[in-house]
Amino acid sequence: MCFCSDVVVELKNDLSICGTLHSVDQYLNIKLTDISVTDPEKYPHMLSVKNCFIRGSVVRYVQLPADEVDTQLLQDAARKEAMQQKQ
Amino acid sequence: MVLLNNLHPPTEGVRHEQAETTAVMDGQRLGCGTLYVAETRLSWFDSSGLGFSLEYPSIGLHAISRDVSTYPQEHLYVMVNGKLNKENGAEMAEKAADDDDDGSSDGGDDDEDEGPITEIRFVPSDKAALESMFSAMCECQALHPDPEDDDSDNDFEGEEYDVEEAEAEHGHADIPTFYTCDEGLSALTQEGQATLERLEGMLAQSVAQQYHMAGVRTEETKAEFEDGMEVDAAAMEAGQFEDADVEHW
Repeated sequence: MCFCSDVVVELKNDLSICGTLHSVDQYLNIKLTDISVTDPEKYPHMLSVKNCFIRGSVVRYVQLPADEVDTQLLQDAARKEAMQQKQ
Repeated sequence: MVLLNNLHPPTEGVRHEQAETTAVMDGQRLGCGTLYVAETRLSWFDSSGLGFSLEYPSIGLHAISRDVSTYPQEHLYVMVNGKLNKENGAEMAEKAADDDDDGSSDGGDDDEDEGPITEIRFVPSDKAALESMFSAMCECQALHPDPEDDDSDNDFEGEEYDVEEAEAEHGHADIPTFYTCDEGLSALTQEGQATLERLEGMLAQSVAQQYHMAGVRTEETKAEFEDGMEVDAAAMEAGQFEDADVEHW
């Protein structure tokens, strides 16, 4: 298990990548920095790469650290966003 | 389709071209050639014309690897969904037809998403070019999003959302909480206003209602009580029991 301080991106091929979330775009392509791989035995080649770009379509989950996410705030923001969409 | 039968490097839309780049596919060194990061596809060809091309949708991720303890040289790492038949990878550029190699031509999305992968490393002799190579690939990837399906929600049409930038500008909790009353009212659309009026109406109605249970008037406005007895609010009308003779406090 990886206990990243930032996010863990789980891909559809079961690879999981920890890293610092740098940016995302509208297709949920994800850029991570300072990444490491959760299963080094399976993918040793992936260890310690920098500047990773993950295609949005291969992402299964993005795990956010629970203590860094204010779910209430997230709900409010989503509601606000939905309100703005209707304008 | 991961590989194309194109024998020639792309000439248009080439965002980055990097000569003297060694390609290593699943650990097998293919030789030294030129990497072409074009808008249509990613290609690599050596001087004799042998090479391969990759479609961006098949590239799950790419990254710059700088840790020489893991791999002796700094390189651009590319993870491709699905297996490329590397044995005839060198022959691919020569074969005009014959797409069907060991079923490596995709039979469906399942194979590509959850199946095996191919790891390719592009090792340029000029390590300083890695950033440009990486950036060029990022840009080209963004040109090839998956076709929209019903589930996808592409309402956000903004630019790339940079987490650090956003935090620097707005602070960590940059999303405001609820609007204050004044702000909120002015921000309401017509539909929002109608919703507000409806909700306020419902609220006023429920406050006015008194729930009666066996002649005991309570101020409780909740429909559910802890003892499990439920009061059917819909059946209530304001003033329904006003003519009751006995009221126990």
